This record gives sequence, C-alpha cells and structure tokens, in this order.
Amino acid sequence: MAKDHLKVIAQPDQQVPVGSHKQRKRKVQVTWYLFLIPSFLGILLFLVYPIFESFRLSFYQSNGTIEKFIGLQNFQTVLTSQPFWNSVWNTFYIGIFQIAIAVPLGFIFASLINSTPKGKNFFKVIYFLPNVTSIVAAAMIFAFVLHPEMGIVNYALEAVGLPTSKWLSDPSSSKWAVILLAVWHWIGFIIIICLANLQAISPEMYEAAKIDGASGFQQWLFITIPNMGGTFAFLLITGWIGALQRFNEVYVLGGPSGSPARSIQTMGAFIYERGFTGFEFGIASAATYIMFMIILVFTFINLKVSKMKL
Amino acid sequence: MLKRISKKGLLLTASFVLLFFAVLAGCSPGGSKKDGEWAGQTVNVQLIGDFSMEDSTNPITGEKIRGLDVLKEEFEKQHPGATVKFIIMPWDGYTEKTQAMLTSGEADVYQLPGIADFAAQGVLEPLQPYIEKDSEFSTDIFIDQQVESWKALGPDSKELEMYGLPFLGDARFITYDKKLFDDWGVEYLSEHPTMEEIKEKSAKMTGKNPVTGEQNYGVWFRGDWSSAFTLLNAAEGIGGRWGEGFAWEDVKFEFNSPEMVEGLNWMLDIQQYAPEGIVSNQGNEKWMTKDNNIAIMLNSGPGNLVQQTHTQGLEDRIAIAQEFKNEDGMGGLFAGSPIAIGKSSENKELAWEWLKFATSDFAQKYFYETGVFPSIKSALEWEEVKQYDDLLGPVFEAMSTPYTPRYHWAAGQPRFILTSEIEAALTGKRDAQEALDKAQKESTEWLESR
Repeated sequence: MAKDHLKVIAQPDQQVPVGSHKQRKRKVQVTWYLFLIPSFLGILLFLVYPIFESFRLSFYQSNGTIEKFIGLQNFQTVLTSQPFWNSVWNTFYIGIFQIAIAVPLGFIFASLINSTPKGKNFFKVIYFLPNVTSIVAAAMIFAFVLHPEMGIVNYALEAVGLPTSKWLSDPSSSKWAVILLAVWHWIGFIIIICLANLQAISPEMYEAAKIDGASGFQQWLFITIPNMGGTFAFLLITGWIGALQRFNEVYVLGGPSGSPARSIQTMGAFIYERGFTGFEFGIASAATYIMFMIILVFTFINLKVSKMKL
Repeated sequence: MLKRISKKGLLLTASFVLLFFAVLAGCSPGGSKKDGEWAGQTVNVQLIGDFSMEDSTNPITGEKIRGLDVLKEEFEKQHPGATVKFIIMPWDGYTEKTQAMLTSGEADVYQLPGIADFAAQGVLEPLQPYIEKDSEFSTDIFIDQQVESWKALGPDSKELEMYGLPFLGDARFITYDKKLFDDWGVEYLSEHPTMEEIKEKSAKMTGKNPVTGEQNYGVWFRGDWSSAFTLLNAAEGIGGRWGEGFAWEDVKFEFNSPEMVEGLNWMLDIQQYAPEGIVSNQGNEKWMTKDNNIAIMLNSGPGNLVQQTHTQGLEDRIAIAQEFKNEDGMGGLFAGSPIAIGKSSENKELAWEWLKFATSDFAQKYFYETGVFPSIKSALEWEEVKQYDDLLGPVFEAMSTPYTPRYHWAAGQPRFILTSEIEAALTGKRDAQEALDKAQKESTEWLESR
C-alpha cells in the first residue's frame, strides 16, 4: 500500500509544476497574513494612529472639535508651567523612594524566604497577594488605613509611642502615603523575580565557599548579590518606567490635581487634568511627548548605569 | 490533503461563526417599528448616573427602584412607532465620555452638566426654535432661575442662548444635626445664617459631647474637590463674586478680592473646629448616621437626602439652612443637569419630544424615585415631596436662589488652580492673601494663553 503510494508520487506526469507550487506556497502565506489582519488593524487603530494623532494635536489648540494651529506654543506653555515641573518633581520623588525602598527590601525578603527550609510557597503567596490586587482598590483601602484619626497606621504608631501623621491631609506627608502604597503593592513582584534568580544560582558555588570557610553573610555578599545583577537591572528599568507613568493610585487618592495642593500630582495626572477635565487636548498632547522624552532619556541612562543590553 | 481539509474546515468554521452572529444580531430585539406617526425613528438617549434598564434595589433604603424600561414603555406608547434606546454612563469620567459621544454623534439626546463647553463647540442644537413652534410647551414649568442659568453661548453667538432644558435639579445648602445642638445647648441655625454664626456655633460644639462623652466637631466641609465652591459662597455672602463674563475673552476673575480673602480666612478659622482629614475628604464617615459626630455640614447636596434620613431614622435630627446669600438673595453653586439635542441627531423632532417627556411630571417623578432631584415646579405639589416638606422645602428654595452667572469655568483649569491654592492655605503652605494672589495670577495667565 505504502509502496503504491510512493509510486504514485514518483510518477513524472503527476508531479506538481514548479510555478504552481510557488503559487500554492504564496497562497498559504497570504492566508496566514489574513489571520494577522485583525490584530494588525487593532495595533494601527489603537496604538499607531493615537501616537501620530497626539503628535499632531500637540501643535494645535484643540478642545476635541475646534482646532487652531499654534506651532510650538503648547510645548512652551507646558515647559514654563510651574504645575508641570511640580508634577515632574512629584513623579521622581515618589519613584526614587519607591525603588530605593522596595528593591532592597524585596531582595532581603526573597533571600530570607529562599533560606527557609519549610513554607517557601506559603510566603511566596502571602507576599505576592498585594501585587495581584487592583491598585485602584488598594488605593481606596489605603485611604482608610492612613486615615488621620481612624486609620490603623496612626493607631499602631500611637500604640508604640511614635508621633502620628496626617498622611493624605498634609502635602509634606502625602507623597510618603503614596510611596508606602507603591512599595506594598510592588514588593511581591520583586520577591518573586528575586527568588527565581536566587534559585538559579548554582549550589556548587555556595558549597565551594563553605569549604573555603565563608560565613552565611559572606556567601550572600560575595556570591548572591553579584549574581543578581541582571535581575536588579531589570527591576530598576521596569520600576522606573512604571514609576514615571504613575497615575491610577494618585488619581484615586488625590484626584486629577493631586490633592492636597498638587502634592501628589504626577506627570500622568497632569496630562489627565489638562486633557480630560479641561478639554485642553493640545496641552495634554504636548505634555505627553515631553513625558515620553523624559522617560526615553531616563531609561537610556538606566540602561547605561545598569549595563543592561537591549 | 490533510492540510487542505483543515484549511477548508477552518474557513468553513469561520464563515459559519460569522453567519451565526449575523443571524443572532438580526434576530435580536431593537429593530425599528414600521407603524405609527413616528415609524422607524429611534431616539438614543445618553444618561449619567446609577440608572438601570431593569428593576433594582436601592442600596440605602432597600426599596425597589423601577428600571428605565418604565420610561421607554411610556414614551413609546405616547409616540407610536418610535423606539427609545438608552446609553447609560457612570459619573466617573463623564466629561470625556460625553465629548467622545458628541464628536462621533452616538446619541440624539445628552445629559450635559457642562453644557457651556459643548455649546461653544457648536455640537448642540439651539432649542429656542423648537420652543417657539411648540404651543404645548412652556418653560414656566421649571423652578425659578433654572432656565436662565443653563443658557450658554454658541460658537458664533454674542448672547446667551438656550441649548438645554433643566432636567435634574441640584442645589447646595447647609445641613445640621439638631441632636448635637440640643446636647450642647446651642440654638439651632437660623434660616439664613451668617459666617459669624457658623463660626460661633461650630466653636461651641467642638470637643467632648456633654451628654454622650463622644468627640464632636462643630463643622465639616470638603477641603479639596469642592472647597472652591465653599469659598465662593462665603465671599458671595459678604458681597463678593467670582468675577464676570461668560465668553472666555470677556471673563475676568476676582479670586483675590478682599471678600475672597476674608472668605478664605474664615475657612481657615473654622478649620480648627473640623476633623483633621477635611483636605483629603476624610473625617465625615459618621455623617447621616445615628453615631454622627459633626454638628454643621457646609456645602451639602440633595442626593439621597430624604432616603438616607428616612432609612437611618434621622427625621427628627437633620435640618437645613440656606447657604450665604448676597443682597439680591443669590448665593451658592448652581448645579444639576440639563438635557440637550446633539447637532448631528438624525431625529431631532423625536429628540425634542423626548426632552418634553423627560421634563414631564411622569418622567420627573420616576427620576425622583431613583434618588435624583426634579427640576419642575409641580414637584412641590407631589405627595412624595409634601410628606418631607421640612427637608425638601429649603432644598427647593436653595434651587431657586443660586448665584448667577454660574461658575461656568468650574470644569476647567481655573477651578483646579483655585482649589489647589485653597488646599495650600488650609494645609499651612501659604496664607490666604498669598494663596489667592497666586490663584488670581495663574488663572489670569491661563485665560491669556487660551
């Protein structure tokens, strides 16, 4: 049966001409490209087009329906706007402290969990839970947790004799309320990523170090940390991009103008305030491109500092 | 061969799925009706708020709320052949969603709290021609000040025109808890209290309640989102105003006038009688409950006022006084929602019919049941309103005496600038004069850069 089949294939007059074979191959390829069209159209419509439209809008005074070309005036307005630079300051302030606290703390927790003989998965789940919580829901709960009179944080501080804070009701402490929330929400992700790297470090290195008489701390300092470089670079870059785009939690906690007194208004919130509450789409678009440039430059610096290859 | 079959099968399956959905869509209800005066016409109505097509339960009272189907059925009965479709959106982000809908012409009728911004874009239909040719309709049905206050400037008009009919009413007033006044032995607020009276009585009622021993606060007001309205009303009470003009080129702000500075200093004074969290909208969690610890609530609104008072058994406790009024008897935020017809509507006559229906007794009673406030005078005669006359009488009075011209700039930057500076003053970053000078400077610069 199989022999007959081979014979049939081998018959010269039954062979498919080269030209038609190519045509069929092309036809098959075209079919698969057809399947790509919906997602390609989606990308064009919802990603590429808005990027170009936003760029065009940044040169116009626009309220969505009436437009007037004004050249670079929107960029000038944004770059000379005190609230914009205040929002840049807030974004960096919150971002710096979030990363500076969350990454080392997450790494320490991951190291502790990694060295725990039992219950690793339990701790992984517990620490990762905040990260799967919606940041909007978490921010709403944090507003109660940080309530100046009824909040559990102030209650705990008072119980141990420490001074309490007004948290979100005071511009000097409101940024720290956001940092606290951001660290709490992000740390689970850091722990999981660090744990994955920790478990990938060869145990032979630790065994060799032990034979050479290295203490546990020395092993951590001279084996673990140098082997975590790639992970730290990844966390630094993704953390910074996320921090520079921060919007959801500050919108929930302080509204579009980052109350109190614009103390938690980030660049994202500034864009939202001007674009979607004041119909100043030109200003919002210009601010978006300025924010894009800031993120681009900062990510480039981060890549250089962390020596991470793209 | 197998490849060819699977390819064919895949194409067949895809075609079948498409056909199936096409048939489903074709069979679904909502197609135009073929008979009647309005045959084949559809009016798409956008509504903002917690509305639902089906019956639901009021989360506060536990009572059943009829769905929007009630309105649909009645309107379609009154207008044979017509079809009503609702597009319901939440209050969150309503401005940008409405903008998108108006730009794309998705609805015929819109609920438009920010009507001034949209009228200026030329996306709304002027209503005066419809009113003039409709002998059955009169704007006298609306509560005083409502029609005039919702007028706006069109893209080319020099004078204010009517682009929307008053639809849902709203007002601002001062609410207080009589029990706390009794506990402290303080006389109730007068019908038209002064700033001094509020300050004096707030001071007396801050501290440990002499009867219950609980911590009480004399006053509460939002120090963030709506603080600009509290300040403007305080200034209005002593003869001040936000400024003047309606078209942006005519607008002049008076944010740092002596009256505004005095108003902000008054807010800074009474802040000491309020809980710590007013700038982050905190500290009022017990308000409108039996455990309430706040004596006077400034800048209150009517949303669910009756329902919550009734459900919590506070009928004997909650009372209302008017906000501060100027010499002409005007003062306080003018709020609410008008309804308007989109310029791109294909069924404008039917849309006008919907506008009349939505402001009729039938529809207004329905909306009142759902917890929002009516905009028509006849509501005062409804049995449902009369039984809560003590509470609702002052609310209707407040609705007819807001400050005009209204704060039409309050959806944009000037409001955010003013609010941020009030917050700066309330949190001690700047004194009242410095904060308002900065607000005036930034708002004026913003006006000039438009």
